[in-house]
Order: sequence, then C-alpha cells, then structure tokens
Amino acid sequence: MKRKSIILIAVIMMFSLIMTGCGSKEYPQGGQITVIIPKSPGGGTDITARGLIQYMKEHAEGATFVPTNKPDGNGVTGMVETANAKKDGYTLGMVTVELAMFPHLDRSPVTYEDFIPIAAPIADPAAVIVPVDAPYQTLQEFIDYAKAHPGELQVGNSGTGAIWHLAAVAMEDQFGIELTHVPYSEGTAPSIAAVVGGHIDAVMSSPSAAKAQVDAGALKILAVMADERTDIFPEVPTFKELGFDFSIRAWAALVAPKDTPEEIVDYLVTAAQATVNDPAFKEYLSKQGISPVDITGDEVYKMMEADHKYYGELLKMVDVQ
Amino acid sequence: MENIILAFQNVVTIENVSLILFGTLVGIIVGALPGLSVNMGIALLFPITFAFQGMSGILMLIGIYCGAIYGGSVSAILLNTPGTPASAATTLDGYPMAIKNGEPGRALGISTFSSVFGGLFSAACLMIVSPLLAKVALQFSAPEYFALAIFGISIITSVSSKSIIKGMMGGIFGLLISTIGIDSMTSHLRFTFGSIYLMGGISFVPVLIGLFAFSQALLTVEDAYGEEAVKYNVKLDRVFPSIADLKRIFFTVLRSSFIGTFIGAVPGTGGDIASYISYNEAKRWSKHKNEFGKGAVEGVAAPEAGNNAVSGGAFVPMLTLGIPGDGATAIILGALMVQGIQPGPLLFTEHTSKVYAIFLGLFVANAIMGILGFSSIRLFVKVVNVPKKILIPIIFTLTFVGAFAINNSLIDVFVMVFFGIAGYFLIKFDFSMSAIVIGIILGPLAESNLRRALVMSSGNISIFFTRPISLFFICVSVLSLVAPIISAFIRERRLEVDNFKA
Repeated sequence: MKRKSIILIAVIMMFSLIMTGCGSKEYPQGGQITVIIPKSPGGGTDITARGLIQYMKEHAEGATFVPTNKPDGNGVTGMVETANAKKDGYTLGMVTVELAMFPHLDRSPVTYEDFIPIAAPIADPAAVIVPVDAPYQTLQEFIDYAKAHPGELQVGNSGTGAIWHLAAVAMEDQFGIELTHVPYSEGTAPSIAAVVGGHIDAVMSSPSAAKAQVDAGALKILAVMADERTDIFPEVPTFKELGFDFSIRAWAALVAPKDTPEEIVDYLVTAAQATVNDPAFKEYLSKQGISPVDITGDEVYKMMEADHKYYGELLKMVDVQ
Repeated sequence: MENIILAFQNVVTIENVSLILFGTLVGIIVGALPGLSVNMGIALLFPITFAFQGMSGILMLIGIYCGAIYGGSVSAILLNTPGTPASAATTLDGYPMAIKNGEPGRALGISTFSSVFGGLFSAACLMIVSPLLAKVALQFSAPEYFALAIFGISIITSVSSKSIIKGMMGGIFGLLISTIGIDSMTSHLRFTFGSIYLMGGISFVPVLIGLFAFSQALLTVEDAYGEEAVKYNVKLDRVFPSIADLKRIFFTVLRSSFIGTFIGAVPGTGGDIASYISYNEAKRWSKHKNEFGKGAVEGVAAPEAGNNAVSGGAFVPMLTLGIPGDGATAIILGALMVQGIQPGPLLFTEHTSKVYAIFLGLFVANAIMGILGFSSIRLFVKVVNVPKKILIPIIFTLTFVGAFAINNSLIDVFVMVFFGIAGYFLIKFDFSMSAIVIGIILGPLAESNLRRALVMSSGNISIFFTRPISLFFICVSVLSLVAPIISAFIRERRLEVDNFKA
C-alpha cells in the first residue's frame, strides 16, 4: 500500500513537471535568452544590440538576455547559427543588411526567409558626403558634375560589394553617371579620413560617421537615401524629396529562427515595440550618433524582403562573384 | 592653465583614481592572458560606463587601454607568449633575457619603465602637438600607407636572426595567409574552398597564440620530459632598472616613443606594427647589434616603449578629427558620445575641460600602471619557478581558452592547434615566428593600399614616387634591405685590404 502511494505521487509529480514544460505561457520565465551578435564587440551592430537587450529587459518580465558575439566569416556564421537554433525563443540573433546581399553572391546559405523579425532599431541611410569647398552645393549639381566629368569623381565606400558601394552603384544606375569607386574595406573611418584629407572627392557612408566633420565645417552632406529626413541632420534633404525614389539603408534587426511558436514571437514583438519607443533607448542610440527607427514585426520583414530583391538587382551590375 | 587646474580637480578625486586603478588592473590581467584582447576588455566594460556620470567611466576605459598594452609584455617576457599582438616583438629579446640569462626581474623592470615612459611621452605629445600630428596623419593616403607597410615588411630581415632567407620565406608565408578570404578590393573570394569560416579570413589571434604559445609549450614539454625540476637561480636584487641600463636605453626609449606616437596617430595602424618598427630601429642604431635576439636591453625596451606610446597617439585623430586611430579608441569614442561628447574639431573649443580630463587621465593611468607594474614584478617573477608539470598544462589550457574566446569559435581552436604544431616544426628548422606574424599583420595593409593607390592614379605607378612621404619610406625600405648586404661587402673588402697589407 505504502509503495503504491509513493509510485502514485511520483507519477503525479512527473506529469506535473511535464505539464510545466509544455506551458508556453511561462515564456520567458526563468530561462536565459541567448542573443547571437554576428559582429565583433564594440562595433555599431554590437552596441545597438547590447543597448536593445539592455532596455528590452525592462519590457520583458523575468527575461535575462545574454549577448554572444560570433563574428566569424563576416557574420555569416553567426546568422546561420541563429537560423539553425532551437525554435523555443531562447535563442535569438541579430541579422544585418548583409543578409540581403550575401545570398546573391553565394556567400550565405540563409536568407531573410529563414528568420522571423522582431524589431529593427537601426536603419541608417546612405549619405553623399563631400568636402565643404567642393564645387557642387546640391545633389543635382553633383550629378551634373559627374555627367560632365565621367569617371573622374573618386567616391570612397566601405568595400566592394558592401552596402555603401551598392549605394554608389545605385546612383550610377539611376542617374546614368560613371564614378570611380575607391573601396576602403578596413571600414568607414579611413574613408572619412581620406575625404577630409582631400585624397578622394566624396564618400558614401551613414550620416553619423561624418557628424564630427560636418559640425566642424569640413564636410557637407548633399542628400540622404531615405524616405524621411534623419534626426541628426534635419536640414539635409532626402533623395525622395528631390524626386528620386530609391533608398539604401544599413539595418540591423533582432530576429528569431523561422517556425518559432507564434505566441513567443508575439510576446517578443510586443516587448520590442515598447523598447524601440522607449525614450531612454532612443536617447541611448542618438547619443551614439545613430538615428533610432521603430520598425517592428512584419514591417521589418517587408523591408528585408524589399531590400533582398533590390540589392539582388544592384549586385548584378557589380562584378563580385 | 586654468583648464588644466580645473581638469586636475575633476580627475584627481578618490572615485576617479580608484576607477582608473581598477581599469588599469583589469587591463593588465586582460592583456597578460593570451586571447583576451585590448578591444575585448574595453568592449566588455563599456556598458559599465553608463552607470557613471561625466568622465569617470571614460577614465576607467583609458586605464584598461593602457594597462592591457602593458600586460601583454609580462607573458611575452616570462612565457614567450605575447598576451596581445602588440607584444609579439617583445618576445624576441625579453624571453631570452628572462629565462636564458636568468634575469626576469631586469627584463620586467626595463619593460615596465619603457612602457610607462612611452605612455607618458605620447600623452604629452597628445597634449602639446595633437593638432599638428593630426594634420600630418591626414596627409597619409593610400600611397603613404603602402610605403609604410613596405617599410614594415623590410624589417623581416632584421628580426630573423638565424637565417635571412628563412625569414623571408616566413614573411612570404605570412603574406600568403593574409590573402585568404574576401579580396579587399574586388570582393572576390580567394582560397576559401566554399568554407564560410575562411570567407572572413583566418583569424589572426589564434594564429598568433598557436605560433608563439602552443608551439612553445610543445617545445617545453620536449625539454622537460624526464628532467628533474630545476629551480632557476633567479637573480632579483632590484625591480627598478639600473642606472647603467637606463643610460643605455635612453635614446632607444625616446626614439621608440616617438615612433609609437606617430604610428598610433595614423588611423588603421596600431601597437603590433609600432612595436616591430621600434624594435627594428633600435637594432639599426644600436652599438650592440650582436646582442639582439639573445636578450639585448634595447630589444626589450624598444617594442614596449613603442606599443605603449601608441595609446596617446591613437587619441590624436579620435579627439581632433572624430576618427578613431584603432579599435580600442573607436569604442572609447562611443563611450564619449554616450556622455554627450562628440569628439572632432570642435571638441577642443566646446569641451576644453573634458579634453584636459582625458589628457590627465592618460597621465594618471600610465603612472598607476607603473606603480602596479613595479610592485608586482616580484610576484610575476615567481612564474619562472613554477614547476613545468604545473605550468605547461596551464599554458595549454590558456591557449585553448584564448583561441576560443576571441570569436567564440571552435574552428579558431583548430586553427590555433594547426599553427601551433606547424610552429613547433618551423622553430626546429630555425624559421622566425616574428617574420610570419609581420607578414600577416602587414599583408592586408600593403595589398589594399597598393591597389587603392593604383585606382586613384588610374594605374600610374609614379604615384608612389612623386609624393614625398611615400618616397621617403620607400627609400628607407630599400636602404634597410640593401644595407646588410653592402656592409658585409665592405667588411670583406676591408678584410682583403688588411690581408694584403699584412
């Protein structure tokens, strides 16, 4: 009799344990959520991601986020790892704009379709940055100058086939101009230094990278490739305003692997929505010179899909296979 | 002057000094452990800076930055394992002095003195001539970078003491390794064989740990096998360098500090390059060339003064132009912006007191680094007498942990082991590890700037010879390549003449 009751209690306890495991309502109680950042510590993507999860903690009760950097293979390894992770909401990852580019170059086995986006706190537009004493004051004058002097304007970018190079290619394509591309694969900083030092005529980059030099009156921004003006340079016109409707932006998004249960994704999107609209988080990004954007859920998916298609077209014009 | 006094009052508070102390201590530990890089240390403590008002958090980061560059030399000298890439050159003479000559205290004393001197010198340069330095740094375009890289590569002949031919073979091996991955100009894939890992190139730090630490540990296993534990008779009567040593290294340290500050000020180059160039110049100008590689005092002093002087230099473009000089200053730039300070040309007029706080922070951090360094030398030296059967497993563990920690990648661990075993045999065949490392460090700099310069000049090679800075470096490189051959020739002639006379 005694033995029977012990077995009974044991069975009941086992079942109740299994039941607790089943209850997805509990998410994210008690569990650590790993966030894979496919870039090195200290970079723009890393700082944005760490900021996002730090502020998101307050909007997701009981969740602890643990960032892990996996910068191997230009970030592809990290993104693949996120895509292949368990679909239980305890592994999330950041994906970057390269996800819309690398698949066309056969460099990434995963695409935007392998992820469910949660939020994109950053989508920096490409800006046309020139020395302040350059002979052109507006984008139109720049285009006219380029038409009159084909191939003479040397435009710096952050590496062939990288996002800012695509921005220059998009300009060549849209305006029928010919530029000389000077790649700085070491990153944006050396390319800005080169245009300040007068070694090249212009540089394509995010507006924030040039902020110090623009404020000091050494560089000027002719226009940004966005739908709306940026917060940090409200006086700079957009390409759209000037009548050219295309945008190139470097985004980073927090995503979950595809097939993650809907209620978990909903929970995360709600928390992320509250976070990207949190004034404290916005201030955190602004102080780093990043214009905060509040794109969440399906909107991110649409942006990723649109960019995937557009960048695929642009990359066909660049010989980078 | 008023600003300096104001900044002094702001910086020298108990809270700030203890934060700098904490940062410097963390930095020295992070720097001494191979695989934990300067940037990683700063990036990991970066979020903590949000908690502090004003400059306090920034001062802590400055402490980590200075401490980590110094910390790398401790393991370089005692274990022949550079804690950071910036200390790879220190192994050349530091390890022989500490172990073969049995003078670890002397080696650490000299490296500590040189590091502190380099750091203080560069902080003074930053304070006095940063606008001027920034202007010179901006003159550097692709041809100048290329010429600087070539100058650096020409050093290979002088760091490979045993055989110049094998040194060059090693250098070319290093250059070849650096071509793996995405072509920096055209973005085409090179030698990646469909592997995603190879697409990003072979990570440098695992290679460094393999070549220096893992191979060294293998050699030690071989030496120690079946051997009774010998207690080294370590002479440690002083931790401060002797007057005679100080006299001998004075010009070397000064020269290296200047080189380090300048190289730090040029964006995209850092402590690894500065220390090798400083070492080479020390050897070029030394009266005791034959001592190099066997524990020359100048050989320990030069790379350490050079790499620590990078810290002040790297702040020059960051503060004056808003363009970071290296990865570490890029993160500190982010931290400054969080505090609402935008570095750039306007910084000096808008936030003068904060600029001076950074200057003073660098001075204080270097001073604390010296105090911590000198007072721990007796402790560090104990490592030498740790029995090998205890020390070797610890080193092996550190190599694995370090290789993994840098990118959280298991492939990096395999790469480390591969290069460790390769390094073991290469050392047996008298190849120079430093030559390979110089090839890997300078390969990308040379290649992308060569090709970028040619894009800029539409393929005209004259761009390298018509620009004064570029021409200067190319001439010096040719001279340093040819000089050993010519001097050997002259010596021979003189000998012949002498024989003839006799």
